[in-house]
Amino acid sequence: MNATINYAELVYALRPEIALTLGLLLALGYDMAFGRRMSDCARRGVAVLIGIVTLASAVFQTLHTNVPPVGHAAYWFHGAFVYDTLAHGVRLGVFGLSALTLLLIAGSIPHSALRTPHFKHPAEYVAIQLLATMGFSLMAVSNNLLIAFLGFELASLSLYVMAGFDKTSRASAEASLKYFLFGGMAAAFMLFGFSLIYGMTGTIVLPEIARALAVQGPSPLLLVALVMVLVGFGYKAAAAPFHQWAPDVYQGAPAPAAALIASASKLAGFAFFARLLFSGLGTVSGDAINFGGPAGWIMAVIIISAASMLLGNIAALAQTNARRLIAYSAIAHAGIMLLGVIAVRAEGAGPLFYYALTYGIATIGVFGVFAAIERTAPCQRISDLAGLWKRSPFLALVLFVCVLSLAGIPPLAGFFGKFYLFAAALYLNGLMSPAGWLAFLAIAMSAVGLYYYLVILKAALVTNATAGTSASTEKIRVPLGTVIALATSAALTIALGIWPDVVLGLFK
Amino acid sequence: MPAILFYIFSALTLAAAIGLVANRNAVASALSFFVCLCGISVLFVMLDAHLLAFLLILVYAGAVVALFLFIIMLLDMHGGKRPPFKKMTIVASSIAGALLIFGAFSFFARGQFSTDELALAQAPAFFTDLKIYGAKLFTTYMLPVQLVGFLLLVGMLGVIVISKKHEEKEPGDRIQEPGDKP
Repeated sequence: MNATINYAELVYALRPEIALTLGLLLALGYDMAFGRRMSDCARRGVAVLIGIVTLASAVFQTLHTNVPPVGHAAYWFHGAFVYDTLAHGVRLGVFGLSALTLLLIAGSIPHSALRTPHFKHPAEYVAIQLLATMGFSLMAVSNNLLIAFLGFELASLSLYVMAGFDKTSRASAEASLKYFLFGGMAAAFMLFGFSLIYGMTGTIVLPEIARALAVQGPSPLLLVALVMVLVGFGYKAAAAPFHQWAPDVYQGAPAPAAALIASASKLAGFAFFARLLFSGLGTVSGDAINFGGPAGWIMAVIIISAASMLLGNIAALAQTNARRLIAYSAIAHAGIMLLGVIAVRAEGAGPLFYYALTYGIATIGVFGVFAAIERTAPCQRISDLAGLWKRSPFLALVLFVCVLSLAGIPPLAGFFGKFYLFAAALYLNGLMSPAGWLAFLAIAMSAVGLYYYLVILKAALVTNATAGTSASTEKIRVPLGTVIALATSAALTIALGIWPDVVLGLFK
Repeated sequence: MPAILFYIFSALTLAAAIGLVANRNAVASALSFFVCLCGISVLFVMLDAHLLAFLLILVYAGAVVALFLFIIMLLDMHGGKRPPFKKMTIVASSIAGALLIFGAFSFFARGQFSTDELALAQAPAFFTDLKIYGAKLFTTYMLPVQLVGFLLLVGMLGVIVISKKHEEKEPGDRIQEPGDKP
């Protein structure tokens, strides 16, 4: 703690974040200097271009960071940062996912420009998204409660603003306010939990916390702290019973913002969740292998996971709004990812990372399709999707691939994500263990999930838009940026399903 | 003597906190918040955390409460009439309250509180001196301080974007309504 500060090391550790900062200042400065003289379309194009170039340079900086071999980790800046395969992968993942969602707002069709009033301030939108991405990236590498919390808050505050970016829509304002109120509450709980952990151990560095807790053992105060931390993470992951914000936010937020909330935010959240629980609180984890073992956080995570799977899948069955349906399916997926957190003990973080990444890619595909449809007509109810096959075969194809991946149909990435996660959970101690039962529940619930995913596909591919339904029959022209984003996410969903070792191999 | 002071100021803090929630007048609520913060800062003084007590008064009682009062007066809020609670709200809050009391009871009944002298002696003591505190902020904790700066940047950008009025009214605003709920 008392050693002098090595600024060179700090700059080395945070090169991607520095690139993001410069990019966001450039986006804001350029728009301030030249934005007034440009058309809305050009302003948006420039802002998105700056955002993409910034994210690309952040990816470049990340690729030029030395990754320690699997199972080892490098510590920077007096243990404030940890760098291992997971941190490397999550950084690349969040930059990529963020770039994909940014492409969704690129390009516009002149005569339907009035359908996209939420991008009146494209430079600010891009800047806020880059700040959110910086928060995700910090969560991925932080090894310290303070920096993790600040990264978490940086991401959350940015996402609140992004959810409310469409000022002409009441639903967007409602989404932003609900997200903010829930998020503020959850952040307060988590900070309280962190402060109790600090009070018990006298340190905020995760491995030192683990060392102190190994000496002290579990105590009632620690359980209170654990519960509070779990509330914060349950909120971030949209896991039941902290999920109430998710349907309203997914429904009301602009589609690109909702896509970011559903993809990169989850990936970063679960990465830090796994890191905190295993390298910080690993000594008080309890027992996932036998029933009646010592108490710890694993039991609480199992309960939250089971509740999310049950509630998410069953509530999704009753939805008539496509976006709310995706939100409930996101709650169900959060339950499966929590199972993945428990399975980190057996197989490392590889399956969890693969699942969260492929889930994020597929969700961006789905929200991208919704965003493209919204350029001509509202797209909220499932019946609004009717006749999509005739209106735009490309959009229908992307929706087909991404929804089937979410449902977990081989050979798409979603199937292998589920497969590796369940296998890892069963490796712990077979079927007769808490983790095994949970994996069994997850498999059963995946079958339930198949039904509502097929409802979406039936509306888009089979149903015709007749006079009775609200769906329009107008052809949809998809702008180039959206085409790139959607084609990339569909192609990645297929390619990562065929070659899962591209991602999983990193962790072996 | 300190024990008596502790009870007096704890009672004051709790009473002010209840007043903050229960008061219908927003200005009175803000002032109860101020009293509550003063009570907490006295408790901090009794724990020898002078700096923290001072910062609490300076930042929260000084800046934040003043800001609250400004906003309340600018927006001219009167609290208004609260609609009566729904049955579901009462049931849910009673269940939550019962759970909370049960949790607190089991925590006090079964938890062992030990004042570990060793742990107390090991507690980092550098936050008591303002000079060391400042030095820590600009060396070891420089990065978190910078990150807080970014938090303020997000807040500022968000306020500008959300509160800024559109230059021209759009002819075909979105026809989307917040309906469509299950």
